[in-house]
Amino acid sequence: MTMQCKASLRGARGDGIDFLLAESKKGRSMTLALACPYGDDALGAACRAQREGVVRTILIGDEGKIRSLAERDGYDLSGISVVDEKNDDTAIERSVKMVSSGEADLLMKGLVKTSSLLKAVLDKEWGLRTGSLLSHLFLFEVPTLGGRVIGISDGGMNTYPDLNAKVKIVENAVACYHRIGVPQPKIAALAAVEVVNPDMPATLEAAALAKMNERGQIKGCLVDGPFALDNAVSEESARIKGISSPVAGNADMLLVPDIESGNFVGKVLLYMTGGKGAGVILGARKPIVLTSRFDSMETKLLSIALGAVVARS
Amino acid sequence: MEQIRSLSQLLDYAKKIGAEKGPKKLSVAMAEEAGLLTAIEEARKAGFAEAILVGNGDKMKAAAEQAGVNLANYEVIDERDEPSMGISAVSQVSSKKADIYMKGQIHTNNFLRAMLNKEVGLRKGKNTISHCYFHSVEGFDRIFFIADAAFNMYPDLAAKADITQNTVGLARAFGVAEPKVAVLAAVEVVNPDMPATLDAAALTQMNRRGQIKNCIVDGPFALDNAVSEESAKTKGIVSPVAGKADIFIVPNIDAGNMLAKGIVYFSKNETAGLILGASAPIVLTSRADSTRAKLLSIAAAVALSDFNK
Repeated sequence: MTMQCKASLRGARGDGIDFLLAESKKGRSMTLALACPYGDDALGAACRAQREGVVRTILIGDEGKIRSLAERDGYDLSGISVVDEKNDDTAIERSVKMVSSGEADLLMKGLVKTSSLLKAVLDKEWGLRTGSLLSHLFLFEVPTLGGRVIGISDGGMNTYPDLNAKVKIVENAVACYHRIGVPQPKIAALAAVEVVNPDMPATLEAAALAKMNERGQIKGCLVDGPFALDNAVSEESARIKGISSPVAGNADMLLVPDIESGNFVGKVLLYMTGGKGAGVILGARKPIVLTSRFDSMETKLLSIALGAVVARS
Repeated sequence: MEQIRSLSQLLDYAKKIGAEKGPKKLSVAMAEEAGLLTAIEEARKAGFAEAILVGNGDKMKAAAEQAGVNLANYEVIDERDEPSMGISAVSQVSSKKADIYMKGQIHTNNFLRAMLNKEVGLRKGKNTISHCYFHSVEGFDRIFFIADAAFNMYPDLAAKADITQNTVGLARAFGVAEPKVAVLAAVEVVNPDMPATLDAAALTQMNRRGQIKNCIVDGPFALDNAVSEESAKTKGIVSPVAGKADIFIVPNIDAGNMLAKGIVYFSKNETAGLILGASAPIVLTSRADSTRAKLLSIAAAVALSDFNK
């Protein structure tokens, strides 16, 4: 697979995260199954994704409700299939089954509880589980870093992952990076400091992950850590601290120690830098798009595009 | 300096220090045993050590007679109880009248209590005191340093970092400019259920971040891939330390002791030990050690004392 987005993820200035939109339109269209699109603007994003050729969209839910919402908000449903399932749980089950059967390629959550959707995703008979851990990856375009794209995982799904879970989080992210055209992502395991402190478990786990990568236990990427955020993203800061590492200052992804730190960094990027991003849940047989009602339309559309690109391979 | 590659070379090196810069002074707590005095006398005759002997005057005299040692060649301090002997001997070192603190017949507890004494002891801040065995093994071109197989029982990561730095200091005193340190475990991969592998990974990163200096640390290693380049190659381990380790950091006293004693009893070798991490080298030999082993420990202490000057 040849892609042109490598450079942009590595920090080339200019084209940023919009490469996902271009990538998603190449080749066969992926089909998105959107469960219960009753609000949160998931419906709007899915309609726009259909119109722009990012995905083919199938909406699963109460058809009457969907059509009146679309009319009210001015969304064009032409070319979009609507599968009438009035009950939420049935609609979710139907959506998940569409993806597990191959009728659709990626799943998206509408106005239902995340827990209901994930319960269906993890169903042993017809769900999408792979035996891996589900994890959340968010890619941000950071205007203050010249539009460089930086990923964060896991700021949305796993609360306090242990070392084994962190390995799986990294593996999920690495598979995703490979699919979006980064063959050897640089992953910085973050802590509050860049030195190993026996009293700070995040620094110990970061060191363990770096070593596991060196011993070939985590493949297809470069992992180093611990890093403080500054020396993971700024070469200057890494230089001042005397850290010599191919990851220092050049991280493609920040592996955060827990959900709070990941959430804070993510939200700073999204709300305080004027940035945009794309989020996806990884580790299931197919990607799951799970946007928040506070995400901008652009971020929702990019999330669908990311899901489509990941689903394609 | 040229790297010392065998314990015979260590003796030559100690003699050279003695000849060029003068002998180092031992301060011996409870020097009341003939075998010990024999080793000290040999070191004196070889020109690299002299000694202050602390202990019961009558008993030291008897032991000296038995060993055929003339006490007139030594400074003798008469003390009648063990705690005073420890304090008196260690004070000679902390007050710089002697360079090396050495254990005689005194009980180890009393010896160490004096060493840890806040006023006259040799503690260097909070630095962990550790033991190092060093071996020259037939068929290998370098000395192997093993720590800590005798002193710290179940060191945590912070203690292991100190143990590593202490041992690196000794290897450097032996002329190994940038010692290669292998942190040992049962396997060479990180296993979240095996704490030794996690500590090994952490020590590697501490070295890379400049928290452990003047050496190259890598780990986890199984013993085979730390000493055999062939084995490391088979396992696909790419590391400057693999197959070339000078220093082995062992996970705990049980594994370390068995490794050190395995070398002693299963190979053709020479072995001695030293206590590190204090403000002066500490010689702690056992009565069961041969005169040669005691002499080698003194020689190592002389080399370290000279290096740290």
